[in-house]
Amino acid sequence: MKSDTLSGNNYQAPGSARTEGAGIELSGVTKRFLTPAGTAFTALRDVDLRVRAGRFSAVVGPTGCGKSTTLTLVAGLDRPSAGTVRVSGQPVSGITAGTGFMFQADALLPWKTVLGNVAMGPAFHGASKKAAQAAAREWLRVVGLAGFEDHHPHQLSGGMRKRVSLAAALINEPSILLMDEPFGALDVQTKAIMSNELLRLWDQTKPSVIFVTHDLEEAIALADQVVVMTAGPGTVKAVYDIDLPRPRGAVQEIRFEPRFLELHRQIWESLREEVERAYARTAAPREGGRS
Amino acid sequence: MTESMAADQPRIAAPPALDTSARQQNVRRRVLVYAARLLTLVLFVGGWQLLTATKVIDPFFFGQPSGIVSRLRDWVEHGTAYGSLWLQIWITMREALQGFAIGVAGGVVFGVLLGQVRFLADVLGPYIKAMNAVPRIVLGSIFVVWLGLGSASKVMLAAVLVFFVVFFNAFQGVREVDRNLVANVRVLGASRLQVVRNVVLPSALTWIIASLHVAFGFSVIGAIVGEFLGAQKGLGLVIATAQNNFDPDGVFGAMLIIALLALTAEWLIGRLERRLLSWRPPAHTEAGAT
Repeated sequence: MKSDTLSGNNYQAPGSARTEGAGIELSGVTKRFLTPAGTAFTALRDVDLRVRAGRFSAVVGPTGCGKSTTLTLVAGLDRPSAGTVRVSGQPVSGITAGTGFMFQADALLPWKTVLGNVAMGPAFHGASKKAAQAAAREWLRVVGLAGFEDHHPHQLSGGMRKRVSLAAALINEPSILLMDEPFGALDVQTKAIMSNELLRLWDQTKPSVIFVTHDLEEAIALADQVVVMTAGPGTVKAVYDIDLPRPRGAVQEIRFEPRFLELHRQIWESLREEVERAYARTAAPREGGRS
Repeated sequence: MTESMAADQPRIAAPPALDTSARQQNVRRRVLVYAARLLTLVLFVGGWQLLTATKVIDPFFFGQPSGIVSRLRDWVEHGTAYGSLWLQIWITMREALQGFAIGVAGGVVFGVLLGQVRFLADVLGPYIKAMNAVPRIVLGSIFVVWLGLGSASKVMLAAVLVFFVVFFNAFQGVREVDRNLVANVRVLGASRLQVVRNVVLPSALTWIIASLHVAFGFSVIGAIVGEFLGAQKGLGLVIATAQNNFDPDGVFGAMLIIALLALTAEWLIGRLERRLLSWRPPAHTEAGAT
């Protein structure tokens, strides 16, 4: 359906030749950072994770467990210290082609208009300015922002900026879509609307998704599988298949279904341990200091 | 926002009388500020004139407002010792502007380059810091020896002064670029050059433009000091001559001219800033708040 609506303009998105999403595979991935003090900090340890092509995978875990690091490794923005990251069977080297990335914070360029921001993807892939803008206009219409082309990001609400980010991330029709707590800063209602919007758009192009969040309800409502990570150094603790039927309909309603509650109870049990462990780690030194 | 509120709850909407009274208050305040400014000027100049006229302070050392005015009139009507006043202004401004252009271009290029290439920054960093610590005004006399009494030595001095101001700002601006923005465009497929053009430069522009205000002042100082140290024409030479002739009115008069030129340039840079940075959210001014 998406290709129908976009066939009118002559920009061919680089990802659109591919059939469906590309499989993602992390095996034995460890990532260490050097802290400014000179000591090594292990963010990820021996992570094994598979996302089958075209599947929606949500990653949950306590704060600071390396969820975001996982995404930067898959995108090719950073290299693992050990282990391999493969996309469609190919080891990642350099920026992974056909990736869409939605960041936690706004990553829109404040000096470009909404249209200019969305048109960047095609422009970087060599599309003419006219074709890029036509494609951007089309995508802004798809995310419901027709008429806001000439606004600057600061003139939009948080939810609208997320829509722009979504359009900018999807315009190249990526085969993998990486999302780092994309709706974390939104209020509950806007978040629900955006989640529905995301599912609708994902259904049209079916990229493989890794969706990082700390909201378990959000994870279950959206994903095919939920990956629970341990408190840092992060590693995969358990993977749960979410067998709720698709299309799921409104995310606000699905959370009252018995199967949803059952899954939530199961996964929360596993997640709670990690959250408590991470919390104890941050809270303990403070108490020690007081006594 | 106010429209929709007025539509929903017409009774609670602010009555128009309140609105106009707020505006009136604003106007009244602005008039008061201008009146107080004028009064300050009158008190200062009048006091100066009065004190020198009554010989409380010696006009031979401190000059006299009326003397400055008549000296300026004399320059306009009969020219200075080195040709017409307009020629002196033109020469000095040309030197300042050329130095400004060279210094800004060099500062931006090196700032962005060193900000982008970590290795270069690490290697050259200490040397640039050391050169910045040297009192560069002193270089003026060396430039006169190298480049002669013509305008080249003044342009050079102005350019050197401007370069460091712009360089440090451009460098810092490049370093402060939001990593998220860079990561975002890289994932979207931007090449290194495209990252610089689309993210790094626009982001550093805020810093660079802020530095231009100071940099222009430095370029004028460079030109004046250069002329002061040895020249055949220019406002700096006019000041130096007035000083040697024990003519404080001449010194103050030339200073006044330079100040007016600098203010004009400042205003133009402000215009440029507003135009280039029009994407920024408007700052909440006091007038806008009411």
